[in-house]
Amino acid sequence: MRVMVIVKASKTSETGKLPPKELLAEMGKFNEELIKAGILLDGDGLKPSSKGKRVRFSPGKRRTVIDGPFTETKELVAGYWIWQVKSLDEAVEWVRRSPDPMPGEESEIEIRPFYEPEDFGAEYAPDFKAYEERLEKGRAELKAFRAEAEKLNAKK
Amino acid sequence: MRVMVIVKATRNSEAGKMPSAQAFADMGMFNEELVKAGIMLAGDGLKPSSKGKRLRFSSGKKTVIDGPFTETKELVAGFWIWQVKSIDEALEWARRCPDPMPGEDAELEIRPFYEIEDFGPELTAEVRAKEAELRAYLETQAKSKK
Repeated sequence: MRVMVIVKASKTSETGKLPPKELLAEMGKFNEELIKAGILLDGDGLKPSSKGKRVRFSPGKRRTVIDGPFTETKELVAGYWIWQVKSLDEAVEWVRRSPDPMPGEESEIEIRPFYEPEDFGAEYAPDFKAYEERLEKGRAELKAFRAEAEKLNAKK
Repeated sequence: MRVMVIVKATRNSEAGKMPSAQAFADMGMFNEELVKAGIMLAGDGLKPSSKGKRLRFSSGKKTVIDGPFTETKELVAGFWIWQVKSIDEALEWARRCPDPMPGEDAELEIRPFYEIEDFGPELTAEVRAKEAELRAYLETQAKSKK
């Protein structure tokens, strides 16, 4: 199963203060362990919400843009991983081994399983399959297009 | 630049309520447009927080807390990762998104990623090298899925 492992923001992460050298090194080592264990699918950090925006969808389909920063820090994502694990318990074990993401502050890491195609039930399955196939085709076309463009650029 | 586009949770998403077939189809078409535009890097939905857990780090102590988590505004229901020229381009696309939570107020949050250029002396040469390896590894992971 796949899980998203969300590192919630903190006061410090919201100031844009970069993590100390030691934490970056420890995180690097932790990521290596995740790779060795075949668990790591993705992982990255997000800039503070001062660099972000929100789009609110209200009844009547009105869309409003709101500039960051957003003051409710507890609502914010600072970083994330995506892991392939056997169970939620395995994910918890790995999170326990994570370096403290926000040294000197309280912090929280949230583990959330992904919806997988099987979850969508029989009525969606054929449409979902067709949709996934179209996405695949689209990606393949884009890949081929990019390869062509690269070839042309190389000739210049 | 890359951005994460976070779909914030709502009462319905937390109840595990599925979108209608129409909403599903509309979102599917939007995703196809994102792929065609070369913007879509990833996109997925998360199960309600009743299926999740939190680990709290506090003064060296680690505590596990079971979901569900009652502050819905704190929760992520889904996300995309987009490759865009600017945050304005991301906003353009976000505006075109079909209503992510029909019948409820919904919010998308657009957040740029840290890129390696953003890190100065905090990143030693060794850590930089490891980070580059990590990025290369993740790229091959992503490609093998496509």
